[in-house]
Amino acid sequence: MHISEGILSGPVLISGAAMAVAGTAIGLKKIDYDRIVHVAILSSAFFVASLIHINIGPSSVHLILNGIVGLLLGFAAIPAILTALLLQSVFFQYGGLTALGVNVVVMAFPAVMVHYLFLPMIGKSPKLTFLGGFLAGMFAILISSLLLGLALWFTDKNFLETSLTIITAHIPVMIIEGIVTGFCVTFLLKVYPEILPVKKK
Amino acid sequence: MKIKMKYIVILSFILVLLPVSQAFAHRVIIFAWVEDGMIHTESSFGSKSWAQNCSITVVDEKNKVVRKGVTDRKGHYSFKIPEKIDSDLVLKLDAGPGHHAEWRLSKEELISTPSKKDIKKEMEKKEELEKAPSVYKIIGGIFIIFLLGLSAKFLKRKKS
Repeated sequence: MHISEGILSGPVLISGAAMAVAGTAIGLKKIDYDRIVHVAILSSAFFVASLIHINIGPSSVHLILNGIVGLLLGFAAIPAILTALLLQSVFFQYGGLTALGVNVVVMAFPAVMVHYLFLPMIGKSPKLTFLGGFLAGMFAILISSLLLGLALWFTDKNFLETSLTIITAHIPVMIIEGIVTGFCVTFLLKVYPEILPVKKK
Repeated sequence: MKIKMKYIVILSFILVLLPVSQAFAHRVIIFAWVEDGMIHTESSFGSKSWAQNCSITVVDEKNKVVRKGVTDRKGHYSFKIPEKIDSDLVLKLDAGPGHHAEWRLSKEELISTPSKKDIKKEMEKKEELEKAPSVYKIIGGIFIIFLLGLSAKFLKRKKS
């Protein structure tokens, strides 16, 4: 999911950086003082998730976890994901510093989207909570894949083909992230409901 | 309490099952070296996760395509040093959408005959590049995140 250095053109990189800065500013403003620790926990989870690889046939995929980060944090997911991506770039050479802004848009913006789309389902009933988590995990990867295709559109010139390749490659990740997010949300609601921005019923 | 235990067991089960692969990194690496008149390349996502069936384009300093090829199952691609070449060569790896990497071989490297010692040195460089992220870096990263969190908490408290 991380776009490497030297692929995207200047205007795409600058637009991505500008959007990431704006998003981060909103995110920082919206972080609740009492929830800063939760932001750090989820940022750490995102930072480590990319190191967990799963072999599926001949290919190897890694977890992203932007769905659960977004679902639990809303706009605060943007600075959380920015920090994690910056550290991944510096420590593990994932993506690149110049592509950081675009990578933030690709992974963090869908995270914010799933917060508003699926949070209302959380806490209603155990089944709905799991489904909400599953859809959040899956949908975040789907939108990220589309945004990745869109960012590469300007260099590959074939949006449909590129996006289809990316989405197809990420179908296993969507399913795995959906299941992981579903279980995590259900689990957290039982044992640590304070981390969820909803009241336990 | 019983329900809590059930969820803890399920979550632990998932987390244990997930890291089935030792393949760790997701950066893209192409490494190239010269040996016996041939240019050898090895491409991977780090830690023995080979970049298979990926296209490699070799260009000169003027961006003119000199050679094109595809990596094998072990991420290898080798070819003879092009004749009458008087330029550095840039080897570009395309490992799927958004996953590109480059390696530059200088003019001097192309015409020199490397000793076994040079090749060993190059191999060490390759292994260093492919190394999985160390635990220290992972812990260091988490530590920095929490440090930033604490700073944010301090600044927010000061403001209010």
